[in-house]
Amino acid sequence: MSTSENSYSEAEALNLLAQLERILDLDPLIDEVGFIHPSQFATLKEEIGNSLSSEDKDHESTSFWIRDHKLGISTQILIPVYKAAKHAFISALRQYKTPGNFSGKFQDDSVAIEVMIHSKALLLLSCDFATAWNSRKLIVSNKQLLPILMDELRLSAVVLSHSPKSEQAWSHRRWVINMISRNCSTLQWIIERESELVEKIAERSKMNYRAWNHRCWLVSFMTREQVKVCCGTISGLFAIPQIHFGIHVLNELKQARNWSGLHVADNSCFHYHRRLMIWNLEGFCHIQDNNSSGYFVETYQVWKEELDWNESLIKRYVGREALWLHRRFLSLYLIKHIATHLLGVSCQSKPKASVDIDIDSLMDHELCLVHSCSTTVPNANFEEFQAQAIHSAAYMLWLTKQIPEYQGIDIQEKLRAGAGDISRMLKRSCPDRSSLWDYLVDYHSEP
Amino acid sequence: MGELAADKHVKYIISVEKKKDSFESVVMEHLRLNGAYWGLTTLDILGKLDAVDEEDVISWILKCQDESGGFAGNIGHDPHVLYTLSAVQVLALFDKVDILDADKVSNYVAGLQNGDGSFSGDIWGEVDTRFSYIAICCLSILQRLDKINVDKAVEYIVSCKNLDGGFGCTPGGESHSGQIFCCVGALAIAGALHHVDKDLLGWWLCERQVKSGGLNGRPEKLPDVCYSWWVLSSLIMIDRVHWINKDKLVKFILDCQDMENGGISDRPDDAVDVFHTYFGVAGLSLLEYPGLKPIDPAYALPVDVVNRIFFSKK
Repeated sequence: MSTSENSYSEAEALNLLAQLERILDLDPLIDEVGFIHPSQFATLKEEIGNSLSSEDKDHESTSFWIRDHKLGISTQILIPVYKAAKHAFISALRQYKTPGNFSGKFQDDSVAIEVMIHSKALLLLSCDFATAWNSRKLIVSNKQLLPILMDELRLSAVVLSHSPKSEQAWSHRRWVINMISRNCSTLQWIIERESELVEKIAERSKMNYRAWNHRCWLVSFMTREQVKVCCGTISGLFAIPQIHFGIHVLNELKQARNWSGLHVADNSCFHYHRRLMIWNLEGFCHIQDNNSSGYFVETYQVWKEELDWNESLIKRYVGREALWLHRRFLSLYLIKHIATHLLGVSCQSKPKASVDIDIDSLMDHELCLVHSCSTTVPNANFEEFQAQAIHSAAYMLWLTKQIPEYQGIDIQEKLRAGAGDISRMLKRSCPDRSSLWDYLVDYHSEP
Repeated sequence: MGELAADKHVKYIISVEKKKDSFESVVMEHLRLNGAYWGLTTLDILGKLDAVDEEDVISWILKCQDESGGFAGNIGHDPHVLYTLSAVQVLALFDKVDILDADKVSNYVAGLQNGDGSFSGDIWGEVDTRFSYIAICCLSILQRLDKINVDKAVEYIVSCKNLDGGFGCTPGGESHSGQIFCCVGALAIAGALHHVDKDLLGWWLCERQVKSGGLNGRPEKLPDVCYSWWVLSSLIMIDRVHWINKDKLVKFILDCQDMENGGISDRPDDAVDVFHTYFGVAGLSLLEYPGLKPIDPAYALPVDVVNRIFFSKK
């Protein structure tokens, strides 16, 4: 990026910072920020017509652009504004932390306000400047007021609109939510908004690990049973229903399928499904009473639904690694944890619901699926079909190796019967991993 | 196949410090200590650590230390374990760990262990298995592992293991090659690798190699030179490195070099940076590329440096 930092004097840089801070102060609802090349300013201005008021100074209109709560900052001024913001922030923070000031009582609120103003400007320019986030935590934790905490969530969202992978911005949200969760009944409402925010950001920022990690973290706040959660209102900022249902983890799973079905290459969204499903299942461990078999049958049905959904995607989107990896999880978990558990439940007493889990026929189904995916290779889109064949074969081998011996010799026999052929096929079409395939052939030929 | 342009990379790393004209480099100043670790370790692997002024580096590092004992990414910033490990590692490169008050630094790190065995990155409480690795690696170098509850730390890392054999940031987090390196590295240093299902994890890791020979960090992602380090070092620690095609990986890394001005990028023809230059050179070292010092896969320091820490007569 070419810059002409030297063409800005210190006074000009301070002036630019003051303009930026004024803009942020005048419009507290800014929800998006971006850096714009000077040449784009002209285009943007043409689009909106000459709507800038006469008050706008010449270089303000070529340094900042604001409309509909979207803020654009010229790339031309980034370095001088950043330097001015950093300098102003550091000196305000130093003043805030000097022993006279830092008495825990904060008689001098004006210094705290300075720190808040400058750190905000700084974070819009340098999203992972941890010391600036920390200073806000320090000040906010001394106030403990919900509207102020909500402001922090909003600032973090603005930063994420520009830097969706900012680790510090995501971490700041978790800190704020933990603060809110201590003494606030609006939490469920906030968790729902958080989940929506991740989805919105994931739409623009593909396979964003930090964003999905945040969504996985939210799961522990979700309920496993339908319970009513009473909510208060956040003073004047938002209209919040007085009675609110907590997010139910299975509803969230159903909801998540809509998005994931359209983003089949995004491994993170399927991991989110796994997280929800395991969280739901773990709830069972805490119940262990007379209702347990009913609960378990429900879980089994959820699993079957997910398997069917996954299969339909595998057939529609040929050769997607993330879909096959998700299937590995679904099948193994079903066999290893759910089926055995359910069999255990029905052994002890008469099963309360008529669910017949036949692992044998489940495996037959998987073998059939793999067979159909590894043999049909049409001429068109050869690469995709070859990928499908490799992923399906690897899926079967993986399952064969993971299913524990105690599950019964029948399944093992069934799976092993074709394992040797599959290994050889993989060795031909995927020679880079030949040592792994060799190892597995040896493994399967062991008595 | 091109060769490693070692001299050009040395020149590139030394020049990075002086180039401060782009916004991208200016906004990285908060993690300068990480940058110092990446750059200086690369120089050491290339046998050119003497190209920098040791006194300058060390006096600057000491200015980054906070009164809590932890280090900040640069002078005047807040301390964090991320930079504390880098500080200790860089001092180890220069054989100057002794100038630290080891108890003070290790008390800072040990003070961040939580009741469940996990570690926070700083006083603000974010928990991540990366911080577990940092704490264990840092305290091991300082020979102060007795200051933490290692069993609990191991227990927490194991609780972050997924059904695919990999590890995430927190329990239930998605497997990611970077997190896997941290968890496997921490378990290796703590002598607890038996908690890893080596076949299962090895399988997931070797599936990170894509057609071009490069490694990705998660399924369906593009290959990236930095995973040459994270995936490869993990595969070495669990003894499954023969499951990938090493020659193709060497070629992929070499194809990411800027042959004119030095430096290595994430993928062929992208812009270079010091982070990917380090991971490229460190990856080649793990692949036993000729002319490079061997690097330790758990401590992420040259093997001779690690040996000096643990076997020197002091």
